Order: sequence, then structure tokens, then C-alpha cells
Amino acid sequence: MKYQMLCRPAATAIRFQLEQGEGITCEVGAMIAMSTGLTVNTTSKSRGGSGGIIKGLKRMFSGENFFLNHFTAQQSNQSLLIGPAMMGDCVHHTLTGGTMIVQGTSWLASTGNIEIDTSWQGFSSALFSGESMFWVKCSGAGDLFLSSYGAIYPVQVNGEYTVDTGHIVAFEDTLQFRIGKAGKSLIGSFLGGEGLVCKFQGQGTLYCQSHNPPSFGKLLGPKLRPR
Amino acid sequence: MEAEIRNRPAFANLIVNLQAGEKIVAEADAMASMSSSIEMSTRWNGSVFSALARRYLGSESMFVNEFTTSSTGHVVLTQPFPGDMACIELQGNTMFLQPGAFIACEPSVNLGLGWAGWRSYFGGEGLFRLKVSGKGRVWFGAYGAIFTRDIQDEYIVDTGHLVAYEPSINIRLGLAGGIFSSFFGGEGLVTRVKGPGKIYMQSRSFDGLAAWTNSHLY
Repeated sequence: MKYQMLCRPAATAIRFQLEQGEGITCEVGAMIAMSTGLTVNTTSKSRGGSGGIIKGLKRMFSGENFFLNHFTAQQSNQSLLIGPAMMGDCVHHTLTGGTMIVQGTSWLASTGNIEIDTSWQGFSSALFSGESMFWVKCSGAGDLFLSSYGAIYPVQVNGEYTVDTGHIVAFEDTLQFRIGKAGKSLIGSFLGGEGLVCKFQGQGTLYCQSHNPPSFGKLLGPKLRPR
Repeated sequence: MEAEIRNRPAFANLIVNLQAGEKIVAEADAMASMSSSIEMSTRWNGSVFSALARRYLGSESMFVNEFTTSSTGHVVLTQPFPGDMACIELQGNTMFLQPGAFIACEPSVNLGLGWAGWRSYFGGEGLFRLKVSGKGRVWFGAYGAIFTRDIQDEYIVDTGHLVAYEPSINIRLGLAGGIFSSFFGGEGLVTRVKGPGKIYMQSRSFDGLAAWTNSHLY
């Protein structure tokens, strides 16, 4: 399977080229265009086999859709074009048996035997982080595709790194994280607009996004008509 | 202090590499991520009164954050809306910024509030504008891409599209065409800028987005 990232970083789309028998699992609604030799199978099961209704419901809570689309090529040289809902970037990550923890709506597509599972992040971080409370855990071996609002930039964490909570896209689970204050004082952190930030420790890859939807919404919201 | 604007023009963000003792001042909530060696401290944006004035009349935040380090590190600074960023190097001169445009500056730059006038207010550009002066670099952003133009005589900019301009520019409000075309042509009021001087414009307007979104709400 070959893939190509188009039109980064604002209107990113991914074009796949699949040979006979190859397949890819995508978020429902992600498909833009495809060749006629591809079959689409919509199930609530993730590719790894286990799944079903319960996992589908868990996925729904995390902001991901209940159903997943599995695209399989019945002939050779089939092309599939996918893209996320919002303006923003996409990034590719190779999973080699480890686990990647992905922010609620950022999972776009994955191949191979990658398990897609929703995990609970816990109350404290959810209340203050402004992110969705759920994370999607992707584990296994294969290609993983993530999307974001804003441009995605990777950071190789070796020691410690700080990210404003609305700006996390995904991180390897070899990283520990804790929620902390941005500056030296708690009041200063809130007045400074940063609030609480996420401090990552350890070694691993962290993907951040340059913009975050809540800040944009806070500016646009007051200008909208009440419904 | 090295600083680079990345991912232009749609999701521009600023990455600043700081060495020991170097400092950068940024508006509140501009930080996206930073090395753990960076220390952030929050202070009032000027005196208490000017900070309050800046917040309620200039749409700028009351507080600014100062980022510094005792070793090395980087900070990634961004803006709430998608768009481009630009950098101006001030050499003792002054620049006026529209509300919400300021992102960051070197600590040697002075941030002040200037009175924009009632004409500016009715033009949708706000009663106040941010005045940056002194020596050093200033980074500001826009919703959309940034265009620059050197004005000699007079030029017309649609309201909501002016981002920054030199103090030698005179702002006047006007109608786009006659009464009829202004009303039905959708342009309404426009800003007449009179030079000589340089202006920065943005290719999208936030009020345009709000109006479009409102028309689709039911």
C-alpha cells in the first residue's frame, strides 16, 4: 500500500494506492473519492477482530463514530482519497507493536492489525484540559493516520516537554503525563490564559497541533445569533 | 533569539528558540507547547488601568506572558484563528495594530494603547488600537493571508480587513459606492486610507465568517 499526503497543512487529504487484497480502515465519512474496484464494509468491529456493539458505543463516546469503514481492493492499483471533517493537517505514524494514545477526534485511518479502543482519561485531567474526556488507544503494528485542527508538528520527547492541553493530538504510551500549572503560580497560570498544561515525561513521540478549536470557537461564538 | 514562522499561510505558528537569559513577551493563551526548561511568568499588560482598557476597549488580553530560560529551549506560539503571521522589525518607529492582531514581541518593544477615533469605531475597527513602538521585533497575525501595500494617495479597504498600519496613515470612513450599491452590494462601509505609509490587510474577515455562519443557522 502506498500513500501520499496532499495539500498540507490546511486542507490535507491522503491518497492511498491499494493492490489487490490490501485494505484500510477509515473513519466514517472520511472518504472523498475512490476507484470502482474497492469494496466498502461498514461494521462496528475494528480490524483486529474483537469489537462489536460495546466497542462501537465506547467509540461513540470518544467522539469517534460508532461505525468504521473497511475498504478492500478487489483489483490491483485502486486509489482511495480520504480527508478529515475540519480544515487541518494529517500525519502518518508507523506503529511497531506499541501503543499510541490519540485525542478523541483525531484518529482518521489505520491499516494492519491495529486495535482501536477507547480509554477513559480520568476526571481531573478531563475537567481542566478542555479536551474530550476520552482518548482512543491504538495498538498493534501498521500504519496510523491522524488528523488535527491546525498544523501538526512532531516532538521527540527525551526528558520533559510541556503542551497546552488543547494542542495535543497523540502521544506514545511510553510517555507519562501529568496536568500541571503553566507558570509558577496557579493564579498566574489562569490569568495568563494558559490555565493548566500537560507535562510529558519520558521518551517517545508526541504530536501537537498548532491551533485548537475551543479558542477559535470562543471568538466566533459571541458573534453568532442565539438559537 | 531565533524565531521562525512555520506553516504559512493557513495555520501559521511561531517557534522561538531561546538561549539563556533571552526573553519573549506573548499575549495570553498564545503558547501551544514549550520545552520544560522554559519558565513562564504572567504580568499585567502595562499598568492596571491600561491593562483593563486594553482588554475591554482594545480586545487585547489584560495579561501578557513572559517566557525565559536559564539554559536553552523553545516555545511554540500561535493565535486562536487560522491565518498568516508577519514579523516587523521596529527601529524606533511606531506601528498600529488592530484589536486581536498582536501575538508576541521582544521585551524592548513598548505596548501602548492608542485612540482610534469614532470613525474607526463605526467602521467596525474598534475604538482603540494597539500601539507598538521602540526597537525590536513584533509578531502579529491575521485571519486569512496577509497582504501589504505602500499607499501614496488614497486607497479603499473593506472594513474588517485592515490588520496593521503606520501612524502616518489617515483613516476615514466612507460608503463603498452610492447608497444603493453600498446597501445591496454587500460592501456597506469601507475604510478610506490616506497615505503615505504602509498598510497590512487580511484576506478574510471574521465578521464575514460570523455572518455566513449565522445565515446557515436555523
